Amino acid sequence: MNKQKYLTLIMAMFVVLAGTAAYAQHKAGQYEPGSAGKIARPLPPASSIDAAYNVGPFPTYRPILAPGEGSREVDVYCNTCHSPIYITMQPPLAADTWAAEVAKMQKTYGADIPDEISKKIIQYLGSHYTPETRKR
Amino acid sequence: MKWNLEKAAVNTSRRSFIRAGMLAAAAAPAIAVWPSSWPQIPDQQPQGQGLPEFTGPEPNSYWNSIGPLVTEPQKGPLILLTDRPVQLETPRQHFLTPFTPNEAFYVRWHLETLPNSVDLKEWRLAIEGNIEKPLTLSLPDLFTRFKAVSIAAVNQCSGNSRSQFQPRVVGGQWGNGAMGNALWTGVKLRDVLDAAKVKSGSVQVQFEGLDRGKGPAGFGSNRFMKSLDLSNPVIDEVILAYAMNNKPLPMLNGFPLRVIVPGFFATYWLKSLSSIRILDKPDDNFWMKTAYRIPDTPHGTTTPDEFKTGKVPTVPINKMPVRSFLISPDGSDKIPAGFPLLLQGIAFTGTGGIRKVEVSDDNGKTWRDAHLGEEFGQYAFRTWQFAWTPNQPGMYQIAVRASDGSGITQSEEAVWNPGGYLWNKIERQQLVVGSAD
Repeated sequence: MNKQKYLTLIMAMFVVLAGTAAYAQHKAGQYEPGSAGKIARPLPPASSIDAAYNVGPFPTYRPILAPGEGSREVDVYCNTCHSPIYITMQPPLAADTWAAEVAKMQKTYGADIPDEISKKIIQYLGSHYTPETRKR
Repeated sequence: MKWNLEKAAVNTSRRSFIRAGMLAAAAAPAIAVWPSSWPQIPDQQPQGQGLPEFTGPEPNSYWNSIGPLVTEPQKGPLILLTDRPVQLETPRQHFLTPFTPNEAFYVRWHLETLPNSVDLKEWRLAIEGNIEKPLTLSLPDLFTRFKAVSIAAVNQCSGNSRSQFQPRVVGGQWGNGAMGNALWTGVKLRDVLDAAKVKSGSVQVQFEGLDRGKGPAGFGSNRFMKSLDLSNPVIDEVILAYAMNNKPLPMLNGFPLRVIVPGFFATYWLKSLSSIRILDKPDDNFWMKTAYRIPDTPHGTTTPDEFKTGKVPTVPINKMPVRSFLISPDGSDKIPAGFPLLLQGIAFTGTGGIRKVEVSDDNGKTWRDAHLGEEFGQYAFRTWQFAWTPNQPGMYQIAVRASDGSGITQSEEAVWNPGGYLWNKIERQQLVVGSAD
């Protein structure tokens, strides 16, 4: 092996070693699927020079309620005054706390919920949204 | 809990996205860009989307609430609490500056029929009740007939940080982002009341906006009204603001006019204001008599058992206690030992302005003064900075506490009351410092 070839080999080994060292220093080029576009970008408002100031409708987002007896009643009755997000937003609550909340909606806020329906709603919330039962 | 954007088609759900990816991969095995481990990827949440679907029964461990980011008219992405009525929380990074941008300012409505549109040809502010000269003012009347004044003031929801309560309480599960500071410009309530000539024997001024609810008449679910005592010194500081940070109010923050009550919780800051009524007896509507009340005890605190006795006296919520926050770094970055960091945050109070902010890097054992930023008045956010170089790797518990002009310093005591109001204990942030060599 002449000197020239020997030097080339040494150089090549050095490059490989340096490359290995660089590889150990950091990892690169890792990607995973993202979810771009899930947040809607607002449209620019229509422009007119009259005295009406309009922002258009506010978007609604429906949480998926735990499936079970009474979820339809929640969707119909609770949804009158507020989105069912008001339920899923809460931390897990004891069954009697849910019962008190439903009673508050009827008595304090005047929600027109027949008693047989409110019983079903209380049963539903107490079965799916307590510390022991809440899944999601 | 999964969120379906009504506008978004079903095929944007994660599972079908994954299925589409698997089909694509099966159909085109030659595609080499997938890492060999790609089937595992679907089990990893993209960064920033791995938050739990609910928190509790323990306290929310995150700075903000855990809902998804959404956009609403005139708003950048904010954290969704509720969609109807609209409640949105401001993400932490917007609190680095003393003034919170309008498009990032949090939103909280009580009743679901809130304005999408206001016709200024029709809109009028009525001043009525126990006065000599009822007034009906247009927006140009407010621009021209009264002197314009400006004040920087923090607007904070009474229930800000409610998700920290232990035991947890029912209500909007806010993180810390139900607050913001803006420069509010408008007319003084006092000037308007003087023009209307308040009659003697008047006790309160009541505010109401354009929002209405679906509940029956006579219930809090139908109308939202709040009142202040005319004898309260804050009356002379109240502004009816048409400008927020030198721009019209966003619709969701109360276009065209909202009440500014410096130092007081936001429940009194009525939005899309349409009526001011002078009352000759105290307001007994639901939102004064039943809601937004705090225990009449030191720091407004009680216990669940004590409250159940029914013997805890209550008063309407009023001034904000002193608070402070570390905003940056927020704990999401691992910091190399020896790195010269700048800790940055804000502080505010309802009484007497911020006098001092202190930082602890040893979980509250020892404290050092932070450098305070410019003061924009006693009711504004006060920014603070603290140069900090952690020399050893470790898990550092950074604590921040502020003292206000009334001589009160934040404490380690957590309040508890059934409304989830007045949270102001010393905040902590864990910072992870790694080896640098």
